[in-house]
Amino acid sequence: MSTLKKIIHSLAIPVLVAAILEGLCLTQGQNIITNAKSFDNFVVYTAIVMITTMALSINLNSGRFDFSLGSMAALSSVIGAEITYSALAGGKGSAAMMLIVTVAVGCLLGLISGAIYVALRLPPIITSLGVTLIYEGIMYTITGGKYLMKEVQNSSMSAFANTWVYAFIIILVVLIFMVVVFEKTTFGYDYAALKSGQKVSINTGINEVKNALICYGICGALMGLVGFLNAARNTTINGGQLNFGSIAIMFTAFLPMFIGGYISQYCNEKMGFLLAAICMSLLNSTFAVFSNQVTASMQSIINAVLLVVFLIYLNNINVIKRIFKR
Amino acid sequence: MSKLKKFKNTQMLIATLPLVALIALFFIFCGVIQTYGYRLDMYLQIVFNEAVVLAVVATGAIFIYTLGTFDISLGASTLFAATLGVTVYNKTESLALMILVLFATGIACSLFNSVLASVFNIPAFVTTVAMMSVLSAIASQIITTDGGALGGISIPSSVVKPYSGIGFKAMLLIIYFAVCFYVFQLTKTGRRMKFIGGNPLCASLTGIKANKYTIIAFTMAGIGVGLGAFLTLTYTPSVTTQTASSIGMNIFIAIVFGGMPISGGPRSKIYAALVGGFSYMLLNDILEIVIDSSAAYGITQVISALFFMAVVYITSMNYRTQALPR
Repeated sequence: MSTLKKIIHSLAIPVLVAAILEGLCLTQGQNIITNAKSFDNFVVYTAIVMITTMALSINLNSGRFDFSLGSMAALSSVIGAEITYSALAGGKGSAAMMLIVTVAVGCLLGLISGAIYVALRLPPIITSLGVTLIYEGIMYTITGGKYLMKEVQNSSMSAFANTWVYAFIIILVVLIFMVVVFEKTTFGYDYAALKSGQKVSINTGINEVKNALICYGICGALMGLVGFLNAARNTTINGGQLNFGSIAIMFTAFLPMFIGGYISQYCNEKMGFLLAAICMSLLNSTFAVFSNQVTASMQSIINAVLLVVFLIYLNNINVIKRIFKR
Repeated sequence: MSKLKKFKNTQMLIATLPLVALIALFFIFCGVIQTYGYRLDMYLQIVFNEAVVLAVVATGAIFIYTLGTFDISLGASTLFAATLGVTVYNKTESLALMILVLFATGIACSLFNSVLASVFNIPAFVTTVAMMSVLSAIASQIITTDGGALGGISIPSSVVKPYSGIGFKAMLLIIYFAVCFYVFQLTKTGRRMKFIGGNPLCASLTGIKANKYTIIAFTMAGIGVGLGAFLTLTYTPSVTTQTASSIGMNIFIAIVFGGMPISGGPRSKIYAALVGGFSYMLLNDILEIVIDSSAAYGITQVISALFFMAVVYITSMNYRTQALPR
């Protein structure tokens, strides 16, 4: 396939989605992105979805189902906000400091999660259940089950969320980081080998434990970033999420993960995730346009139906092709 | 003693651990209640009422887990069934119709999942994630429309009072468990499900149709959901958006706590959910009584998670692999 064809195929879904959604918005006499504020929201949400999708895919592609992603994002942002507030009291540089602390704490939480998995040698789905409960419990204990507001409501955080520039820089940095680490390093080659053939890879001398720990560390750092972005966007952190209340965050990444996987037939996988995140963000912006008619419940239903329809298409593509050939 | 005999003895000892843990937790619970001077009969009723719903829904879920897949929408299905049941009762004032709707909804939700999984070849865990969103959203919409944002919908408590006694609930639990035990342990269906869960390729080559058993498994789980919804209403005759919200994930905990591997297959045990469900609820209630502070919920959850992982680690000691499990 020529490069031009690859580019056209890669952009087909986002362009089609944008055209359909813009058409829908025009029926209301509006556009998907109505002003500078909605564009800022669009870019920040794209960053959140892209990073969550990448974090989910790291372990899921290796057959490791990780329920703890949401709890890592929530706990790291709570710790990041508390540390930053105690040091700067919401003053200048709060956003930058919270970003660094949250990512570092997220990375540490990811490493702890990975270490538990490696040490106990239990299926990751089980250890992630335990880790989720632990992280949620710690978060509840720190916050007393309350929302964190004063810690994240300051001029520095507002300045961060009220422009698309920082989120755009984060998207670029994460994209480059992920491409380089997973496709240009020994760790990335080992990861790909372990993904396709665990036993053979181990027999060739690849250190699976080290590779898994790095995966969990990166996953945690990415979810720390998501926690920070969510805190900046929502201007609050819900510290009272118990009984797996935090896992909803990972479910939002399923649809973009499958769309990204489909697009990656024609381009780099990580680029596919970015394009899928743009589609999801366009949908989110359209929901904002239709906020009077489409409730939060309706949005959940639409997202879920889209996921199922897309998967029916993906898993039955050959049957569909055969039907149309007749 | 030969190595084989020693291995068998160790395995038997480990297999009895979940039951030993349940008995130990029961006596600890009684001891704690006596120490604090609370009424034992009242607290036992609370534990039973909480655990019986989890045990019933999780026992049905064992059939799905045995096939090597999982369903996290069962909590949402229970909420949805209870919501429709209450709505139907309030419109018709017919208890029989309400019960019929509870079971029909539970089975229909489950069958819909199985059709998506077996006919459209979508991974079951993804369909259940989508279903969880859809069912919760529809139930929330009905509850907030009919009962207001903060309230809920309810039926008069006198309607379910005759069925709220421990004896009646225990009888329902025993009957449902006996049916499940019969199907799981004493019929071809149960054996074939374990075969499919253990080695789907081999099962398929011997002529076993996985689709048929997927539908049976989801139907059994659907009956559990219907019964769980009925038991929920007999305990609290009102439904809010939070009703049964944690059941979907607690099923994982109950099953693993009861000594069954999450991967299903021949080592699946039908009693695991019963033992695990009651153990988990006893443990939670013990901790909530002992740790009496504003942060108690958080600390309780952390200790529960640690205990959960310790039990799972010990019960799976015989099944460690050199490669990291996936």
